This record gives sequence, C-alpha cells and structure tokens, in this order.
Amino acid sequence: MLPPKLDTSTDPQVGFRPPGTLDAASALQPYAGPFGPRQGGHLLRRAGFGGSEADVTRTVSLGVGGAVDSLLHPTAPEPAFPEFPDVALLYDRAKARVSTQLWWLDRMLRTNRPLHEKMTLFWHGHFATAVQKVQPPAMAGQINLFRAFALGRFPALLSAVTRDPAMLIWLDNRANAKAHPNENYAREVMELFALGLGNYTEDDVKEAARAFTGWTIDKDQRAAFVPARHDDGIKTVLGKSGRLDADDVVAIVVSQPVHQRFIARKLLEFFVYSDPEPELTESVAQVYALSGFDLAKTVGTILRSKMFFSSRAYRAIPKSPIEFAIGTLRYVGAETVPPNLVYQLARMGQEPLNPPSVKGWDGGPAWINTSTLLARFNFVNGLIAQTAPGKNGQAAVPAPNAAPDDLVRRSGMDAGRVAAAIVRGVVQDDVTSDVRATLTAYLNSQTPSAATQNPQPFGPENYQDKIRGALALTLNLPVNQLD
Amino acid sequence: MKRTTFVSSALSVAFLGGNASRALAQVAAGAPSLPSFAAGVDPDNVLVVIQMGGGNDGLNTIVPWSDDGYHRARPAIHFAENQVLKLNDRIGFNPALKGLNELYQRGRVALVQGVGYPSPNRSHFEATQIWETASPDRPQQYGWLGRYLDRRFSAGAKPASLFEAVSLGDALPAALVASHVEVPAIGALSAFGYNTGRDLASKQSAGVLYDGAKPGQSPYLTLVAQTARDAYHGGDVLRKQTAEFTNKVTYPPNGFAQQLALAAKLIGSSAGSKIVFASLGSFDTHAGQRAQQDRLLGYLGDGLLAFYQDLAAHGLDEKVLTLTFSEFGRRVAQNASNGTDHGTAMPLFVVGGRVKGGIYGEHPSLTDLDHGDLKFSTDFRAVYATVIEKWLGRDPRDVIGGAYPSLAFV
Repeated sequence: MLPPKLDTSTDPQVGFRPPGTLDAASALQPYAGPFGPRQGGHLLRRAGFGGSEADVTRTVSLGVGGAVDSLLHPTAPEPAFPEFPDVALLYDRAKARVSTQLWWLDRMLRTNRPLHEKMTLFWHGHFATAVQKVQPPAMAGQINLFRAFALGRFPALLSAVTRDPAMLIWLDNRANAKAHPNENYAREVMELFALGLGNYTEDDVKEAARAFTGWTIDKDQRAAFVPARHDDGIKTVLGKSGRLDADDVVAIVVSQPVHQRFIARKLLEFFVYSDPEPELTESVAQVYALSGFDLAKTVGTILRSKMFFSSRAYRAIPKSPIEFAIGTLRYVGAETVPPNLVYQLARMGQEPLNPPSVKGWDGGPAWINTSTLLARFNFVNGLIAQTAPGKNGQAAVPAPNAAPDDLVRRSGMDAGRVAAAIVRGVVQDDVTSDVRATLTAYLNSQTPSAATQNPQPFGPENYQDKIRGALALTLNLPVNQLD
Repeated sequence: MKRTTFVSSALSVAFLGGNASRALAQVAAGAPSLPSFAAGVDPDNVLVVIQMGGGNDGLNTIVPWSDDGYHRARPAIHFAENQVLKLNDRIGFNPALKGLNELYQRGRVALVQGVGYPSPNRSHFEATQIWETASPDRPQQYGWLGRYLDRRFSAGAKPASLFEAVSLGDALPAALVASHVEVPAIGALSAFGYNTGRDLASKQSAGVLYDGAKPGQSPYLTLVAQTARDAYHGGDVLRKQTAEFTNKVTYPPNGFAQQLALAAKLIGSSAGSKIVFASLGSFDTHAGQRAQQDRLLGYLGDGLLAFYQDLAAHGLDEKVLTLTFSEFGRRVAQNASNGTDHGTAMPLFVVGGRVKGGIYGEHPSLTDLDHGDLKFSTDFRAVYATVIEKWLGRDPRDVIGGAYPSLAFV
C-alpha cells in the first residue's frame, strides 16, 4: 500500500518553488562552505528577526556551527521581560488588546533568544488563535505556552495546546462533553494541526472528539478536566481502539507517517523555501521521526544543512510583515516598538494575535500586494525618513541620527561610499550596480525648492536627512522584502 | 434553437427560478456548461456591498408597527405607528431611513426580509466570517467575493484595472480575500500612495528603483518587483483616474457617505471598479440603542440616496447594484439598558436602477420563535447566489457551493 499523501492542493505557496534542481542525497548534510555576511544575514533572518550590522558580524565570527548552536541553545541572559502585559492594561477592555500585541512585539524586538521567539510566531500561525474570540489574558498565556514548548517535542506541545484555555475557547472544546460532543477541536487537530486534509475520515474526527471530551475551562478561565463530562467508552481513531483520552489521540496522530511529512513540509516552507520537493520533505520527516519528534533537533538539522545555505534557498521567500517590521527595527537599533506598530502591521496584512482564520496566515505570495507593500514602504518612510512627523510614537524610535553619524564616521562625507555601505549593510550587496548609482544620485540630488526637504546635495549640512532617506529607499527595495 | 425549446426555457425562467431554469435550458440546448457571462447579463455590471458591522437590529429597521408583540417587547425603544414610514399595513421603515424610503417609493429598493441561516452564530467575529465566506458550517480561506473573482479571472487572466475590486477601508474584509486576484484596500485616496512627505527626491528615486528592478532567480523577486511598481504608481494612477469623475451631488459629511462618493468615482472613472466593498460600523447596540441606531440608519439611507442620485446623474444607475448585510440581527425583546442583544435573522436591502423593487420574503413572526429569536425564512446564500447568477453572470454553485433558489429582485 502506498503511504498516505499530503494534500497540497490548497497550499498557496505551490508554484513558488525556486528554480533549479534539488540534490536530495546531500541536501541535509552539514554545510561547510563560506560563512560570510550573506550567510550570516540569511541565518539571522530565517532563524530570528534579522539584526544590525554588528549582529551579522558577531554571527559570522561564530562560524556556521557555533552560530546555529547559539540560536538553538542561547546562553545570553534575557532582558527582564514581563511575563504578562501590564495587568492594569490587560483588564482594561479598550487597551488590553493592543497592549498585549505590543507586549509580544517588544519581546520579538529585544529578545536574545530569537529562534525561540521565531518558533513562537511559527506556532501562533500554526495553531492560529485570534483575539477576536479569545480575551487578551488567555492569548498572552497561549503565546507563553508556545514559547515554552517552542523547540521541544511536538507531542508535548500538542498535549499542552489541548489543555490551553485560549484553545479550549477558540475551538470550543470547552463545550465538548459526552452528552453533546463538539467536533471543532478534533477536526482541526486532524486537518490543520497534525495531518492535513484527506488523511483521516469523518469517523476519526467524531471518535477523536469523544476522546477530547471533559477538557473545559473553570470559572477562573483555567483549564479543567471534568470526569463527568468525559466519554470514557471505547473509541477507534485512525485504526487504534481503546478507552482513548486526549493524550492517546495525540500519540496516535503523531505516529502517522503523514504527520511527519505534514510537519516537515511546514517547517521547510517557514525556514527554507516554498513548495519543497517531496523527497526533501521526506528526508526532513525522517529526521523528525528519528529524533522522537524533537523540534530542536529537526530545526537544527535544517539550519545547518547544505540545502539551507544553497542559492536556491537564499532570498527565496517573502518576509512576513512581522519579520519585515521587527527586522527593520532591529537593523536600526530601535530600543522599543512604536506604539502604532500594531496598526501598521494590520495594514501590512499581519496583525499579531489576530490571524484571519483558523488556517492562520497564508504566507508566501499572499503577503505581497499593492496595499500591503505600500503599507511596508510607508512604515519605513515614516519610521526612518520621518516623513510623517507628529504621528504617535514615530519620532522617538530609533535615535534618528545614530545610523547616519555612524555611516559617515566609517565612510567619510562621500555619497558613493555611503551608498555602498548602506547597500552592504541592509541587503548584503544583493543588488545590481544601478541601485548604488541611484542611491548615490539621490544623496547628491539638489532640489532647490522651498517646499522640499533636503534641497542641498550631500554634505555636512544635511547628511543625516539624506542618509535616512537613502536607508529608507534601500529598506524598501524589492530584494529586502525577501528573507 | 427551436421555437418550442425557446419557449420552454423562457417559461422556466419565469416560473422556476434560476437554478431550475438553467438546468432546463442546458438540457434543452445540450450545453455542457455556462458561458463566462450568462446571456442577458452585462459584463460591466457593478456590485457594491455594504457591511453594517456590529449586528443591525432588524426590528427597528423594518418596524412591524401593527404587531402588538413588537410594542410589548420593546417598551422603551419601539417606534409608534405614527413615526414609521409605512411600507404597507404591517411594516414600515425606521424614520431615519427617509433617504432609503425615497428610493423605495421609486421602485429602486428590494427589501429581503428574514435573512439568515441554520444554527445561527452570535459571535461578531464568527458570524462575520460566516457571512463573508458564505460558509456557516466551517470557516473558509477565501471570501465569497474573492471566490467569484478567482473564477472570473481564472487561469492567469488579470483584471484590466488594478482597481477591478476594491475595499474602501484600511484592511481587506474576509469577503474579498481571493486566491490570485489582488484586491487593494483603499482607506483614503490621499493615503494610497508612496509617501515621502516633502522629500520629493526620495519619491523620484524610489520610482527609478522600482521601474528599474529586474526580475531575479526567485519567482518571489519577480512578484515583489512587479507589485512594488504597481504599488508605487497605483496611487498616482488612481488619483488621476478618479479625477476624471466629478460627484454631481453633495454627499453628507460623514465617513460612510464619503466612502460612497469615492465608490462613485471608482465606478464611473477609468478606474473601472466592478466590485466595491464599503462599511458602516457600530451597530452593536447593547445600550441606548435608539440614538445610536437611528443615527447610523440615517447615514445609511441618506448615503444610499446620494449615491444613487450621483450615479443616475452620470447615467450609471442601471449599472450598479448595492447590497447590504450585517452579521446578525438582534433579539426580539429589549434588554435592561434600552438596547438589544445579539440575535438572528434580519432584513437586507438591494438597491439599484435595475432592481425589481418591493418586498421579498415574509417578516419574521414575533411569536413563532427559536429560543426567543427570530426564525429566518431566506438563506443569505440564496441572496448571494441570485447576485452571482443574475447580476454577475456566473454559476453560483462554483462560488457559493450548493444550490439555492434564485430570488426575483433582479
């Protein structure tokens, strides 16, 4: 019998596989090639949220093995992050939502454990729960759960999610009882969380729902198991029978070969490239299964691999809006997130804690349309070039002239050299020479009109404004929209 | 086609409604499938969808003024007989809907009563998803209008205009989420553009960079470069195109009416929009309903009247069909705060120069209730299916899924 197949017919990323041929035999072998700013920047973007030029330099100095180890097993102490958003705000209906969103974005910006936060974002998209239905305190709790299990073993994560108050509310398992089963959670475990369409039957959903009965929330919004609501009869899920409970279903689901491919493909699309070849998916699925569903080992294998550092994977997927925004803030050394960032991210198409449906964000080509790109560009223009003065929070982040002063210190008061340094710093020189020429021309441009900003060419009088403008232009390049 | 066949098809259209009539017509003609546009449907038809966000109270929109039960259930928030704009001896418009009433009296408004679906959901978020994806049973990835667009522009076909379908708001509603047709969200004309403030050199340089961007190895780089170019020029194109059209009526000075003024420009200029989504929010009237809902219904009715008059002055009134919806109606009885809580079925409006004005469906009974809530009589998917088939000329089964009886309002 043929192994069960993944149904990829609804995957929007199909059609966006990079050109070229996969060398399946060597794809997961450890990469031992050059490890310079391009490779270091690539690793920091994919396994984190990017970083400043100094961050890239530090990563490069560790070598590929050391850099991946430091991401998987970070030793740097964390800043003192609050475990929950400010309580006064959390229970203020008007402010709870945005303060919880900013609480998480701030952590993405400042954490010294970027891979853990990146995986937290990955699980948020995977187990897509939205503040539209779930109150902010429970949403914050769920994000903390994802972080705690970010690189652990998947069965433990799925067990924990099954008991997570936010999920019990989101997919209605709190109403799932022997007397009146609710299949919502069981269905999404099969379709969206672990197996994919076509790899289970309606009976499997019904039977799994019986196994999940009894898990609900108490009056304090904590998870609770109520034995009287649990159906302890014999059930059959995916061919296994017994008095199955929630963890039995988790164990049965993850033991399916199709589950291993399902997770492998999602990880590859997140970390490597869209629509990965079935052979590549199969290789990663084997690593995942042999590791005992260990995500740190699986992700580590991916990040160290030849395939990860291949030209086919380089700049091969679009940055999500959160990656773009946090990456921009990290690049310029911002110390806080602008208060209007949530609004900006919503316009870019990714409001954190508010995925559009139970399927999460489509990602891939769905990130890219005229409205979302304009939102990205104008976010950068407002933040870096400060073309929208007076807008709440935009002036303070980042220190506006740190980058221009630093660039002039390193490159001198020379437009061509400054343009080259900007292109190297922001996009690791991944542009053609005409881009440098256009940026140099911008720096040197003279627009003698009283109505315009920066009318004079590049020089001591206005280099700061000009460099901010050139930085914005570079951050807004098409290539910088790609990870 | 033989004359007898023609007659039977024509009859079926008149008496059996859309789906049955198409089945008969196909049998008669031996046609395997529908053409892109059904015969008699103008490919330039425009659909405007208006979301009344928050759950509009149907019973104070279309008031059952002759029903004692209505007055008993709502002692503090009811409308008396002499207040309503009577439609017949049983029901009448909320007086704030005087603009809509004017259009109704001219035969330009179809009132569809008792619209809903089985096992109604009372969560704003979930009910909105249900209405916008036309899927009560489980959420869908793409919206009902998105699915229509995907089928209208299948196999790589691109709309002639970037603004074929637009959302007049900062975010894209679930209804317009499509798999491969792009739908811009235009919050305001002035905000849709690459904004560098007073740094004109930066704006010019961005244009040089986007126009000169080369496609790369990654299919995504090609996509981003092309889209960035469209985005950069889109705002200027849009402002230029919409400047061709001058609104010929003065719209009321509220945000909703201003959305409709922009909608008229998008429709009537070379922007050529065919699907426009506008919204009017804050119908979630749990407390102090009368003042709030009356104000919003005033915006709705007056806005729709201005929009219609503007379109008519440009000879476009017969090209445009406007459909309203809300995620749910509200409960029959008022609550202790002189408001109403989340309920079920409610009326919606279809407005346009080629709408067959009148009343469709029965007003829901105030005594035959489902757990204290109104029972629906018309499935909202039948309304969508009617619009898809009779106004947009596509097979509704491909878009809505399942077959629904066609209504006669268009």
